[in-house]
Amino acid sequence: MSRTFRFWGLVPAWALMLLTLIVPILIVAGVSVAERGAYGGFDWGFDITSYRQILFTEGWTDELEFDPKYLAIIARTLIFAGAATAICVLLALPVAYYIAQQSARLKIVLLYLVTLPFWVSMIVRVYAWLIILGNDGLLERVYRLFGGADISGFLFTPGAMITGMVYSYIPLMILPVYASVEKIDPALIEASHDLYGGRWTALRRVILPLAAPGLTAGSILVFVPSLGTVLEPMLLGGGKQLMMGTLIQTQFGGARNWPFGAAIAMVLLTLVVIVLLLNARRATRQAEVAL
Amino acid sequence: MKKLLLATTLILPVALPAAAEGELNIYAWADSISPELIAKFSEETGIEVNVDSFSSNEDALTKLQAGSSGYDLVTPSQHFVKIMADEGLLEDIDAYELDAYDQLDERWQGQWWDPENDYSIPLAYGTAGFSVNRDKYDGPVDSWSVLFEPTDLAGSIALLSYPDEVVSAAQLYLGVEYCTEDKAEMKKVYDLLMAQKPAVVAYTSDNIENRLGSGEVAAHFWWDGNTLRLRNSGAHVEYAMPKEGLVGWLDSFVVPAGAANIDNAKAFIEFMSTVENATEQYNYYAHSAPVEIDESKALYTKENAPELFPDVPVVFAQACSPAAQDLVTKVWTDLLQ
Repeated sequence: MSRTFRFWGLVPAWALMLLTLIVPILIVAGVSVAERGAYGGFDWGFDITSYRQILFTEGWTDELEFDPKYLAIIARTLIFAGAATAICVLLALPVAYYIAQQSARLKIVLLYLVTLPFWVSMIVRVYAWLIILGNDGLLERVYRLFGGADISGFLFTPGAMITGMVYSYIPLMILPVYASVEKIDPALIEASHDLYGGRWTALRRVILPLAAPGLTAGSILVFVPSLGTVLEPMLLGGGKQLMMGTLIQTQFGGARNWPFGAAIAMVLLTLVVIVLLLNARRATRQAEVAL
Repeated sequence: MKKLLLATTLILPVALPAAAEGELNIYAWADSISPELIAKFSEETGIEVNVDSFSSNEDALTKLQAGSSGYDLVTPSQHFVKIMADEGLLEDIDAYELDAYDQLDERWQGQWWDPENDYSIPLAYGTAGFSVNRDKYDGPVDSWSVLFEPTDLAGSIALLSYPDEVVSAAQLYLGVEYCTEDKAEMKKVYDLLMAQKPAVVAYTSDNIENRLGSGEVAAHFWWDGNTLRLRNSGAHVEYAMPKEGLVGWLDSFVVPAGAANIDNAKAFIEFMSTVENATEQYNYYAHSAPVEIDESKALYTKENAPELFPDVPVVFAQACSPAAQDLVTKVWTDLLQ
């Protein structure tokens, strides 16, 4: 393998990365410091008003004051995305473990079923939850069937929104976790029992550490899209509280403030990069320990 | 260059249909153009028509600003026609030379949003207000106070997801001028909406028929003709006639600057504005027609469609200055923060 071949062989990959990833990000970064157009749009320039606006805005008086409202939106987004990720972990681990225990044929069928929802448009799937959670919807009827009181109001709550996020992204958790637990040698669990470890110890000391790479990968795959989610807050959350995704959308739409929308998008991107960097650092440290 | 760059941004993926002959790409309010008429137009002219839909004027504006939208015909409301024209986003089609222009009712000619009638031919007009489900609510609907300062309706109200019409309605109720640049006045609007928020279950512009028709909410911010259609489909709904007034709108056909099929777009405007077709469109869309229609074949009259014939003041939405628009945005962002 000559050096030139290695260089030219990678050119298509680099070109693709440059055109589809780096250039668009640079454009968004450029727009975030551009000057705002009167009715939306922008003019190239250098103006950091948009970033200042994240922390300081003109209040109902004319003075520029510290305003935590955008920080609150960012914090809320992080909390909801974290909650969705945590719930996905709790649900995906037993499911993935169960699938891993099945016969080779059944495994294929079950994994196929996990990926099945991806064949249907996301909007349609989120709409299905409107029917399940809505007034006199499936959930309420089942609840009443089992003697529950006459309650309503599942829809348009943060709970409904997180349910939708968990539902949308959980296959992204199940698949990597399955890949990890499937490789666990049953002999290791037997060994832990031989050494007087109970079921709990086996789970904590054997299964969880071996499933950790899958759990980490799955958490990233769920957390990152949850940060930018738009459909669930709008349709299931009732649009009553802005999340970062919906905030960006309103800035490009109703607010006609593209630079500010781009600035928030850059903040979102930075958060994602931080998550990925933390994970990369952990992975390197683990690799060093293993050596 | 700006257009080219923008077309590659992640945030606004744009469709780029081939600029082939015999095509017409329409971007219109959801379900606003009769599918039968589109089929008839295609049959008569051989032009292939593609229709995409939007559910707010802001969406339509953003799409055009992003450039290379690929659309030949868009149907924004009057204040957005003005903004689009001022921003140079529209093609000057000499609309006053079209036969469709002569079909127009005089009161829609030479208006502030298109004083020379260069850019637009109106397609429908009506009002924005609110509707109630009469199975869920049997109280009065003669004032915006029912919606904005709810007692019986609390916990069963939905508004739209965009500020445009909602803030205008709140301004009508409070007697605040549209597009005011006075912060103190807009603070009143904010205070009203903020006090109302606990009584609102959702801010959403999708799927309104179902939400209101099924009684999931008892009151919904909505449009006149949509309420009429839902009522005619059997739902027990009523369009409110608040004494403070309704928010008026008029949607027009406009051609985005640089559209590929301008002649086809003009042909479609002419087609939709003939008496026969305009009547069919009126019967389908159930919003008032700004062009001449055949009254003897019109399905909706003052007797069976009171929604379309308001007896309260109708105040048309204005194109706000950037400063005024910022205040509207501030109200909305602070409300939903």
